[in-house]
Amino acid sequence: MRNVLTKTLYDKRGLLIGWCLGLTFFGWLMTIFYPSLHDSGSGLVELAAKLPPAFAGLIGNLADMTMLNTYLGSQLFDIRMPLLIGILSILLGVSLSVGDEEKGGIRTVSALPISRRSILLQKWAAVVVIVVLAQAFTLVGILIGLVTIHESLDAATLLRLGGVTALLAVALATLILCIGLASGKRSITMGVGVVVAVGSFILTTFARSIDWLKDYEKLSLFHYFPAVEVAKGTVDLKNILVYGVIIIVALSASLILFTRRDIK
Amino acid sequence: MNTPVIQVKGLTKRYGTADAIQDVTFSIDEGEVVGFVGLNGAGKSTTINVLLGFLGASAGTVEIFGKVIRPNNAHQSHRLIGYASGDMDLPENLTGKQYLTFVAHQFTGSFDERLAALTERFKPQLNKKIGQLSRGNRQKIALIAAFLPAPRLVILDEPSSGLDPLMQQEFLHLVREEAAAGTTIFMSSHYLQEVAESCSRILLIRGGTITRDMAASELNQIGGKRVSIKAAFEVKPPSDVRLVERSNTRLSFVYQGSASDLQTWISGIKNLEDISIDDHDPEAAFEELYEQETTDA
Repeated sequence: MRNVLTKTLYDKRGLLIGWCLGLTFFGWLMTIFYPSLHDSGSGLVELAAKLPPAFAGLIGNLADMTMLNTYLGSQLFDIRMPLLIGILSILLGVSLSVGDEEKGGIRTVSALPISRRSILLQKWAAVVVIVVLAQAFTLVGILIGLVTIHESLDAATLLRLGGVTALLAVALATLILCIGLASGKRSITMGVGVVVAVGSFILTTFARSIDWLKDYEKLSLFHYFPAVEVAKGTVDLKNILVYGVIIIVALSASLILFTRRDIK
Repeated sequence: MNTPVIQVKGLTKRYGTADAIQDVTFSIDEGEVVGFVGLNGAGKSTTINVLLGFLGASAGTVEIFGKVIRPNNAHQSHRLIGYASGDMDLPENLTGKQYLTFVAHQFTGSFDERLAALTERFKPQLNKKIGQLSRGNRQKIALIAAFLPAPRLVILDEPSSGLDPLMQQEFLHLVREEAAAGTTIFMSSHYLQEVAESCSRILLIRGGTITRDMAASELNQIGGKRVSIKAAFEVKPPSDVRLVERSNTRLSFVYQGSASDLQTWISGIKNLEDISIDDHDPEAAFEELYEQETTDA
């Protein structure tokens, strides 16, 4: 254990293993449901036509369930995965920032010849590693599911879905980590984390059926991850740029504030 | 003239409208062992936290090894500083060995021999997770971590709290050895005996202000004998003593004169009912110092 990054990863190994196993199971479970839904094919399309539009936001477009890639896009990556990733991001961001500071961990590390800049960047690197690994294990679960149901999906589709989800998760976790390190206040960090994650979920799901919400949907972090389109092969670089800007702005602001404030 | 290892000028730390410390000024030269003494809430930990850059100063400056310390550059001075506190939060999921390896990696050089010597001295449980250790064992690891990189300056905040008496003695031996080797040590402590035994100089802080800066040897002068008597009638105390208690029949004072003069004074008391003469230990001397400062303030 040579640095803050490896120390943090070692410290969070329980959380990492738990989430990786959980997301592997979740990816597998959602994948093995596909044949049952696919077999209902035309029935689903007819049902979709009869359902009120409000349902589309909550359960996804039923017509997307007829193809494996769009099924995974709409049912796993568009609705459920962002919520799960949101929870992971809040847990991770809060525990590595205010949680660690409340336990005195940041003070203890700061007493060593390690700059605050380095502490922040190494903690952020740990967030990236954990989130990317958790997402990679979701893909592993999907692959196991595909073997279970004797289906196949091209690797590029999986990598696109996994990659953009990981980027969304990194952006959200970075935002929460940086607010925590910049402010040192649990209430602010938790509050912003919950508002951003839950607010984004609500905005994105309900904006599909509530007209006046559509104008605000761009405020949702999930707006920039149209999973079905990504599953079909379209990755809008503007969306990637939005996540990139969030990450850079959050890190920059946090570097300025965290290196100057009092540590509890 | 050598640059002081620590130079603090007009240091103030304010929380809202309340000053935790105000206008604290002192300097510490290389090789000094300085005790930093005060009651709870006097400002010891706040001062130390500013020295280490955990807190930023509201006013005034801190220089360590000639460099002004701020939260964003304090880590540079930490290459030369070892730090431990009595309430230090060590990573509970790591074993003592893992934590000390982590600490050693942050400094330049190999510390295997030093680690072996410190481990031999304190006998910590290195293979257990820190979270499973008793407070005393955790404190041993914190102290080993502070002295491990052979720092030029060691800053300690209530360092021996939680240690058993045997380990407190080991700690004092270590402080003396390190001081003899030229290490500068700045140490706050509640154990006044510990400060008296190990420090060459003492800073007294009260209400966030340094009220006394004195050589540790002055403690002996503050010491002397504590004389308590009970007599049937009121007794007039000798001249030049510090009164502790005086009522119609009871008298208690600290005496620093010659034994024969004291004997003469006692022989002159009529109807003496009871007498006790005890060493006025450093702890009691400190208490008196606090009382003095409170009265003066």
